[in-house]
Amino acid sequence: MSPTGLEAVFLANRDKLVRFLVARGAGEAAEDIVHDLWLKLAGRMDGPIGNPVAYLFRAADMLMIDRYRARRQAERRDQAWVEERGDGDASPDPGADRTIAARQEAARVAAALAALGPRAEAIFRRARIDGVPQRQIAAELGISLSTVESDLRTAYRALAELKERLS
Amino acid sequence: MNGGRGGADEQALDWAVRMADPEAADWDGFMRWLEEDPANSARYDRIAAAVQDAAVAAAEPVVAANDVGPVARPTRRWIGGALAAMLVAAVGVGVWSERPQPFAVETAAGEQRVVALADGSSVVLAGGSRLALDRGDARVAAVERGQVLFRVRHDAQDPFDVRVGDLTLTDLGTVFDVKITGRGTRVAVAEGAVMVDPDGAAMRLDPGQAVLSDGRTLRREPRAVADVGSWQDGRLAFDNAPLSEVAEDLSRQLARRVVAAPAVAGRTFRGTIATAGLKDDPVLLGMLLDVDVRQDAGGWTLEPRQ
Repeated sequence: MSPTGLEAVFLANRDKLVRFLVARGAGEAAEDIVHDLWLKLAGRMDGPIGNPVAYLFRAADMLMIDRYRARRQAERRDQAWVEERGDGDASPDPGADRTIAARQEAARVAAALAALGPRAEAIFRRARIDGVPQRQIAAELGISLSTVESDLRTAYRALAELKERLS
Repeated sequence: MNGGRGGADEQALDWAVRMADPEAADWDGFMRWLEEDPANSARYDRIAAAVQDAAVAAAEPVVAANDVGPVARPTRRWIGGALAAMLVAAVGVGVWSERPQPFAVETAAGEQRVVALADGSSVVLAGGSRLALDRGDARVAAVERGQVLFRVRHDAQDPFDVRVGDLTLTDLGTVFDVKITGRGTRVAVAEGAVMVDPDGAAMRLDPGQAVLSDGRTLRREPRAVADVGSWQDGRLAFDNAPLSEVAEDLSRQLARRVVAAPAVAGRTFRGTIATAGLKDDPVLLGMLLDVDVRQDAGGWTLEPRQ
């Protein structure tokens, strides 16, 4: 793809990306976010991008998910700080506390994934940790794409419910 | 997703699965669904964020990838002696009691070598490279020279750690490339993720991302996934790299010394070089890089065009 290839696609789809960001809850920040998005992507435009339009929307979507996660994490951290103040033997090292919390979360996630059964767990890990396309996972395991989707759905539901319970 | 699940939450679940696929294409349909109800975006975010958080936790049990600032990490290898002794007491035998048995793997210029590690991981050394390993612990490696492509078998309980100079990398399940250049150390990720400097900057690299460390600062760089480790197939991809670095890479891949004369060393090159066709053809290389290639007993020197 020529160096200006992605830029041309970006410019042609800019208004639609803004509309998408608004639909994704960006509100008045949509214009700023689309600008940030381009700055983030501008350096990578030499990659082999099969479907540049989908690539842009996917990047915009992931940016919004990350913003949501960052907000949630900040809220939780403030909350944890408030709770720690009342706790006499709070650790002098907040980093260590966060490490413990992260380990506990990892253990809960591992348990939730294990409860799905080996196939659904393997599919989830392949999709979300290795980043392998769902079509390829289906081919690797010799199962249908709809089975992969259905297992992922079960995994997503379990993980979303786990999150609800914890917060 | 509180208690009774309505149809909208079920739909959000469907979209979260569908749009997380790297090959997701139905962005128009997704946008229509979002615009049907302003609350749909938040429904989707709740699920997508929960799953992303879980994926991060599942990939790495200790380091919270998106945490800002340093995160304490109880690694067995680089912790203080007292804490290490305590852990040995707690764990008893096992990996803790295994003594380090360091050894190194080396390649000559033009050579390429694949090493299978005891844990199922494998590494590929480019020419002119040296990698320190430990028979007592298959989950550590140190790049001492050159370029190494890692294909690490992920184990959340026992992360694979790579040292290169002052830099520590922890894999989060992954294929990544480490290169020592004249400008510093470059790490690029093709699959999975890598945590750079987990005890300090804690910078997470995802596929398509790279970092250049000059010993003091970490600078993020983009890197096309297809180009990470492509040297293994005789393809060197550069994205505005100085000719000095191009020459270093060529020296590793071709069994001959290639240097860039000072007058052109800082010039940048962007493009891909197939090394197979180059072995005995300095003219072709000169055309690719827009330089003259002077050939002598010492090797090839890249010089300004006459």
